[in-house]
Amino acid sequence: MSDIKYLETHEWYLINEEVITVGISDFAQNELGDIVYVTLPEVGQTFEKGGAVVEVEATKTVAEAYAPMDCTITEVNTQLETEPETINNDPCGDGWMFKAKVNAIDDSGMSYQEYEAFVS
Amino acid sequence: MDKKTTQLHSFHESNNAKFIDFGDWSMPFSYEGTLKEHDIVRNSSGFFDVSHMGRLEINYTELDKISTLICSDLINIPVNKALYSIFTNENGNALDDVIFWKFEDKIILIPNASNESKIKSHLLDHKINFIDKSTETVLIAVQGPKTIELMNDRFDIPDKFSTGQSEGYIYARTGYTGEDGIEIMANNSDVDSLISFLTQKGIKPCGLGSRDTLRLEASLPLYGFELTEDITPVEASLSWTITNNRDFLGSDTIKSQLDEGNHKILKKFTIDSRKIARTDTLGSAGDVKGTVTSGNFSPVLNKSIGFIMFENKPSQDLIEFDIRGNLIEGNIVNKRFLS
Repeated sequence: MSDIKYLETHEWYLINEEVITVGISDFAQNELGDIVYVTLPEVGQTFEKGGAVVEVEATKTVAEAYAPMDCTITEVNTQLETEPETINNDPCGDGWMFKAKVNAIDDSGMSYQEYEAFVS
Repeated sequence: MDKKTTQLHSFHESNNAKFIDFGDWSMPFSYEGTLKEHDIVRNSSGFFDVSHMGRLEINYTELDKISTLICSDLINIPVNKALYSIFTNENGNALDDVIFWKFEDKIILIPNASNESKIKSHLLDHKINFIDKSTETVLIAVQGPKTIELMNDRFDIPDKFSTGQSEGYIYARTGYTGEDGIEIMANNSDVDSLISFLTQKGIKPCGLGSRDTLRLEASLPLYGFELTEDITPVEASLSWTITNNRDFLGSDTIKSQLDEGNHKILKKFTIDSRKIARTDTLGSAGDVKGTVTSGNFSPVLNKSIGFIMFENKPSQDLIEFDIRGNLIEGNIVNKRFLS
């Protein structure tokens, strides 16, 4: 298993063999404020890199989380349907959004240190 | 250009506020989170720094002239009362919605931050004198069901929608959250004492994020959204504010709207989901089209709520919203969101 990597659009992903787990960064949840609703994708849906996968409603604004690479959804975090605040409380842990089978590997995300520098 | 900050800016910073640009101002958006602060105000007591709003002191000699510019009867409400009213233009549209505090020796006018300079020019254009107290004072809104019991050992608490004075503070039992509370105007030299009193009482600072969810849940309009220079008080469903029987700017238009009932109309709605129909979302009730002016999540109702401006009176309560390409159903609500 590799380390968590980050995108400029504030998602994180973790590659484990052919499957990625994706969520949004602590910086992103902090910017959004209280998250009240998420629209998750369907298992089996296919996305190209950069496609909008998850819609996140916060009291401040609405935002989207994008696919870090070409992938097909294998699992969604259904806990978020009833407890969307999990993303605020643990964005890189229990607040993960979806898992997906990688269709075209693209491990070009930033390391934690690079992302920290990017957002500061 | 650097944003303006209030006298309390360093207090906000030391309390880890997240800031948001609000017109010319940098103001606290939240401290511990919008939903937490919403909950504090609904169940206990919280305070808002609203010093970005204007504070104009006006002499009673100007009362008749002011009365030609607003839709409410400021002349006949008793001294020591507060009044919500709307400055209208020659077309009857809203220049600003404001609060007046009547005291024996003066009237305080509180315009919105975004409209302060416009209202000052408007007053000067109509030869109305005022003293701008904004830079030498702060305005703090203390709101929530426990506010009065927490504050009555230091403040003489007036009746609801009435004004009061003690210890150099002037205030009114008014607010913008739907909860009981008082809004206090204090001299800059008294700010530290006031804030330490509030914090010692366990009254928590709250930001503009919760102020917006609270006012929306309390069915209260926000200038720039439910009221603009293209919307009359009648159209904003604020006909109850039209108590001025004299002629005022735009009163002909307003009276004909009241008589004929043929005008655009603001309605409240709920959606049985947490999916939010935000500002500018299109919605239709049958063949009557509308545009959402404000929408957000209601923590108390645990669903999405908002205001929508329809082109004319809708004939059904079911609304179909187009939320980013998805059709979502909602319903018009004819009473207040919270009972």
